[in-house]
Amino acid sequence: MTDPVNPLRLPPQETDAGQRMQQYPPPESWDDWVEWDQRQWPRKVPRHYMLVPTVCFNCESACGLLGWVDKETLQVRKFEGNPAHPGSRGRNCAKGPATINQVNDPDRILYPLKRAGGRGEGRWVRVSWEEALADIGGRIRRALQEGRHEEVMYHVGRPGHDGMMEWILPAWGLDGHNSHTNICSAGARAGYAFWMGFDRPSPDHAAANVILLISSHLETGHYFNPHAQRIVEGHMAGAKLIVFDTRLSNTASRADTWIAPWPGSEAAILLAIANHLVTTNRYDRDFVRRWVNWEEYLRQVHPDWPLTFESFETALKSTYAKYTFEFASRESGVEARILRGIAEDVANCGGKLAAHNWRSAAAGNLGGWQVARCLFFLSVLTGSIGVAGGTSANAWDKWVPRPHRMAPHVKRWNELTWPDEYPLSYFEMSFLLPHFLKEGRGKLDVYFSRVYNPMWTNPDGFTWLEVLRDESKIGLHVALTPTWSETAWWADYVLPMGHGSERHDLMSQETHAGQWIAFRQPVRRVALERLGKKVRRTYEANPGQVWEEAEFWVDLSWEIDPDGALGIRQYFESPYRPGERITMDEYFGWMFENSVPGLPEAAAKEGLTPLAYMRRNGAFEIRAGADAEFQRPISAEEAAAARVDEKTGILYTSASASPPTNIVPAPVPVATELGRPIGVMIDGVPQFGFRTPSRKLEFYSSTLAEFGWPELAVPDYVRSHVHPDSVDRGADEFVLLSTYRLPTLIHTRSANAKWLVEISHSNPTWMHTSDAARLGLATGDLLRVRTEIGYFVDKVWVTEGIRPGVIACSHHLGRWRLAEGEGTSRAASALVELKDSDGQWDLRQRKGVAPYKSSDPDTERIWWTDAGVHQNLTFPVQPDPVSGSHCWHQKVKVTRADPQDRYGDIHVDTHRSHEVFKRWLALTRPPKGGWRRPHWMLRPFRPDVEAYRRASSKGPA
Amino acid sequence: MNHGFLIDNRKCIGCHACSTACKSENEVPLGVNRTWVKYVEKGEFPDTRRYFQVTRCNHCAHPPCVPICPTKAMYQRDDGIVEFDSQICIGCKACMQACPYDAIYIDPDSGTAAKCHFCAHRTDVGLEPACVVVCPVHAIIAGDLDDAGSEISRLLATQEVSVRKPEQNTRPKLFYIEAEQSAILPMAAAQDYGHLWSQPPPAHGNSGGGHRDWRGPIQIAPGRMAGAMVSSGRPAKAADSRKSRAPRETYNAPHRVPWHWQVPAYLVTKAIGAGAFLVAAAGTALGLLPSVPLFTSIASFLALVFVAATVGLLVWDLDRPERFWTILIRPQWRSWLTRGAVILIGFSAVVGLSWVLSISGSVELAGRLRWPGVLLAILSAVYTAFLFAQAEGRDLWQSTLLPWHLFVQAVMAGAATFSIAGLFVGLSPEATRVLSWTLGSSLLVNLLLTAGGEFAVPHASSVAAAAARMITRGRYAPCYWGSLAGGLALPLAAILVSGGSAGALAAAGALSLAGLFAYEWVFVMAPQQIPNS
Repeated sequence: MTDPVNPLRLPPQETDAGQRMQQYPPPESWDDWVEWDQRQWPRKVPRHYMLVPTVCFNCESACGLLGWVDKETLQVRKFEGNPAHPGSRGRNCAKGPATINQVNDPDRILYPLKRAGGRGEGRWVRVSWEEALADIGGRIRRALQEGRHEEVMYHVGRPGHDGMMEWILPAWGLDGHNSHTNICSAGARAGYAFWMGFDRPSPDHAAANVILLISSHLETGHYFNPHAQRIVEGHMAGAKLIVFDTRLSNTASRADTWIAPWPGSEAAILLAIANHLVTTNRYDRDFVRRWVNWEEYLRQVHPDWPLTFESFETALKSTYAKYTFEFASRESGVEARILRGIAEDVANCGGKLAAHNWRSAAAGNLGGWQVARCLFFLSVLTGSIGVAGGTSANAWDKWVPRPHRMAPHVKRWNELTWPDEYPLSYFEMSFLLPHFLKEGRGKLDVYFSRVYNPMWTNPDGFTWLEVLRDESKIGLHVALTPTWSETAWWADYVLPMGHGSERHDLMSQETHAGQWIAFRQPVRRVALERLGKKVRRTYEANPGQVWEEAEFWVDLSWEIDPDGALGIRQYFESPYRPGERITMDEYFGWMFENSVPGLPEAAAKEGLTPLAYMRRNGAFEIRAGADAEFQRPISAEEAAAARVDEKTGILYTSASASPPTNIVPAPVPVATELGRPIGVMIDGVPQFGFRTPSRKLEFYSSTLAEFGWPELAVPDYVRSHVHPDSVDRGADEFVLLSTYRLPTLIHTRSANAKWLVEISHSNPTWMHTSDAARLGLATGDLLRVRTEIGYFVDKVWVTEGIRPGVIACSHHLGRWRLAEGEGTSRAASALVELKDSDGQWDLRQRKGVAPYKSSDPDTERIWWTDAGVHQNLTFPVQPDPVSGSHCWHQKVKVTRADPQDRYGDIHVDTHRSHEVFKRWLALTRPPKGGWRRPHWMLRPFRPDVEAYRRASSKGPA
Repeated sequence: MNHGFLIDNRKCIGCHACSTACKSENEVPLGVNRTWVKYVEKGEFPDTRRYFQVTRCNHCAHPPCVPICPTKAMYQRDDGIVEFDSQICIGCKACMQACPYDAIYIDPDSGTAAKCHFCAHRTDVGLEPACVVVCPVHAIIAGDLDDAGSEISRLLATQEVSVRKPEQNTRPKLFYIEAEQSAILPMAAAQDYGHLWSQPPPAHGNSGGGHRDWRGPIQIAPGRMAGAMVSSGRPAKAADSRKSRAPRETYNAPHRVPWHWQVPAYLVTKAIGAGAFLVAAAGTALGLLPSVPLFTSIASFLALVFVAATVGLLVWDLDRPERFWTILIRPQWRSWLTRGAVILIGFSAVVGLSWVLSISGSVELAGRLRWPGVLLAILSAVYTAFLFAQAEGRDLWQSTLLPWHLFVQAVMAGAATFSIAGLFVGLSPEATRVLSWTLGSSLLVNLLLTAGGEFAVPHASSVAAAAARMITRGRYAPCYWGSLAGGLALPLAAILVSGGSAGALAAAGALSLAGLFAYEWVFVMAPQQIPNS
């Protein structure tokens, strides 16, 4: 132990708002910060800590954390925020401090486990990492040697890192990435991407005049804490806060104007606002004239009209004239007067409209992608793009450093994830995978589920289960996970991967107008190394033998290609020591030295290497403030060398592009015989423009027109599958909102955080007072909610906080396990009995949450018994034919529970669910041309252009 | 230096980050909380809204938890922080009864009182409390109220603020900007059988989670919550344009009832011990009762046994019983727990000595202890009224009639005890008559004080009113009315109609003691069920 030294007393700090105490120990004291021991307080016993920055691994916000390592015990004592982090600025939501619960979780998996009995029997043996690597690596090697590349798949929930898999999977030669995007953000991504190529917005809330949110951004994942800080900052500075949310969220509660539209009517409202802006001539005419592809629109839609902006204005007015406030009011149920008020607020935003839709309506409805598209339409009309207080593209505010070596684009196309039916999907049709496997479209030899619980999180979980337990469909299932999950229970290997303080990752998010990177670190390893101890692998420093993926992938890659003969090993060799295995210091250090502008200089200023700087600070701000790439001038030399297409104004170059140091996913503009597009002439001035085919914001999407959806080529309102006309309220039909979030939980990651579960462990079904009265239900009564494929039984929560005709149930709760002592966190799961008979599945709770003995005395103090109800099992897949998004909203029939029903009961018919899958599949329009997908569009793990050609294609598209 | 908190409800987003940051910083176990975010909803769709109320210790300028603490474990620092020392605390839970804000709990690890202590271990090194640092929107401001240049002072100078229950005169130093009345006032929002995304703790009597002492929703009658009742007369403040409707609590932290059957039992044993000595000593001194062993040595022995049982029950109720002696080693003299302990020790010494003297034949010496004993018996009987008066969180206990009531109860219990003892040792007709009169008249006065006094006068606060209502019409009504009928009226009637039968007198005595326990149980338990947050 270090000598007892009495703590320093930090002086107060002066702020604009007045004097306050300090929030953090000064960074120069982070190696040895002395504080009074809380446990012995008020006895004054000094305690020494080492403070190591890392990044939270709960949601995708990537907030900074400081791990406080007790120098005596070398254990992490607690987590606080990292003040050096530009996104989170030293602050966190409830999940940040709760990271310590995850680290100390008595139910966590500490050693690599291999299945001993049959799949799902729950018998496991501990194996060494070497054994696991040899077995899995050998199996992948055989698949690659035999050309079965499509049988190796990596399926990730929220990545929690940038760039890592882009380094790994292409090096293996795979198009084997699968994501959770299509059950999450696909709708919003499509809506944004058809406008600007980039698929995410980056609103600058802090400087906005009007903040318009379609989602509950003051409480949910993208990007909860950093956005909440800036939304409230903007609101306090006088911005109007407008929230669309069908149920009363915390965000709605903070709004100046909250509306609760009928689900799916949001686009109608947005177009009514657009119509108001256009008809009252209160939109940024000049911005629209310069930056919107109205000429292309006129050429395609009104070829006979004069090619003038006035013609376009006429077209705008006539196109949207039908979207009156009265129409939107009929569709949404919201008073026209209130909609007009919102439109007036938007009209008065002065070019500072910060708007955001992520999941919510875009993820709920057939055609939900048009909600995000219509929202961005308002940003465009108000000229709020890329300016302070406006909305940028995510990529302008995000930086993903290029690693030392990347494999070329693979020449393969995985039809299990990128099927012919969905050429415009954002992205992999992940939630259809079990149906595709059932249809015999392929099989998997090695399937990695990585911090992902598809059986629980995705719709139609029992179809997942049927496939997961079928060894003819999935040969080897490797679950990479910090904790038990319903899915991991059916794996062949369960390999424990670290929580937020137990792993290396790089992250960058568009949390605000600025650009930063943050470095997640294995806190204990870093502390040990600072103390001069040698750590060969991160699992030597983590609890048990918990590892991290970055090192695992390097070792696995060497295992797959030990002698380099497959051409894989080369990517995992040190850039500093030729032929040697790359270390984490080298992988990240190289990027910090070479791929992050300004970092080497900033480090040098502190007398540190870039790696040492990042290990010390955990984050680096590359740029503060908004910077919109589209307005960047093209240099005179470049412009002089470029050729301009007179018709479109697009500048082309024949010079080849140098690989970017920022590898944030970006659209790849289409090359023509003129060369590679690099800019566009705007009022005679060459500017960078947007990375779309027209090089402008695409009001008219030629892509949608060419790929089978000409009627949706401009922003429009698509009637949802839960449109009021298709819901018979007289017959007790309702719309079920199943995607709403709580501020305290993150899907399947937070079940092992006792403080979070203590606050939130129940998901009663919200129902409006009038509906409950009609059905004779009171709070606490059981109701049965029937979907197309089954039903679930839940408690009812009668409330004034939801629109009549709509019910809602949070998707975080309802965790379960099959064995008494093992499986999903016992503090958060019910013990269930599972029965199946030819596709008829029944799940019944045997026991709720109960106190139990463990290494943590707190588990004997668990006072709640509820684990919630797992509603997602009863949802059929409902893929949007354009965006590929699962349309989460369910049309349901609600009754009082039957006498034999018990709380938490689930029944599902998977034959029926496959029929529903086929019905939705029939809505698609597979491409008729020669291309699987428009090459310019974003595609993660973009294969080589040749792989885009359809096998049946007869010629160029 | 004078530390205070300010919660800016213009900013709070109800995210609970403060709650988990506090749990982390102070290693707070499950089931207890130093800070939490209460949710209240009100209004009719679509004009409805949820309000957030960060709730914790107020670090009162006049903290009632400090004077009641018998050992100085709860104390006020020079910088205004109300601090506690778990190494001194004996777990008597009196501070929990004194706090009108539900801020204090017993830590299940240490068995000692704990609460928000302003992260004093941090502020002493110049760092803000953990909840302030974590807050995403800087809605929690901590600082020096004495420094006009501090952030908190500057906000307080320019913003309208509220505090919780200002009428308690505790002078809270936790201020709220834009406090929502239905959230800041306990019970202004109806409690329900569930929360938005959590269960309320298992209702009273339900052993869920292995605990039997959760404070449940306060049920007045089946399906009727006290909260709705209390709020009905209080129009909600129209803070915004949204319509107001009966507000409803949709999240709150669970709380436990601090005192259990040991406390009503202690009140009964104490009444018997004090009463037995009092009735015997006064009766024999005044020549009303014969100086037979029953009213001399046996009386002293009974008093000794029951006062020892009283002390035993007190110690039993401590969460750290082995620290009982701390009261004597580091007494905090303003606490009626300390004073009571000294009184009880003094009383037991006197009755013990009196018994030893009387059985060893030194009757005269024993007689000299009579009047000091009477004085200590009266003090023993009534001091609890002053302790209860210090329990500022239980308004029903703040009754000016309580000392008289306790005195009468002691007389009744003493007479009842001799009435029963008479069955075994035999009573002279004269003694039977005197005991009948004593018991009968004390029952009558008791009945008048209880029915006429305690619950007929208007209650000073909604908290007291809710407790009274719970007693007379709610969950405790059967026990309460049973105690009045079976413990007061019935024995009184038995005495009146029996015409001096020893058997009837003994039965009346037994009934009145059973009724006394039932009554004390209701009186102790019901006020603890009323939420202070």
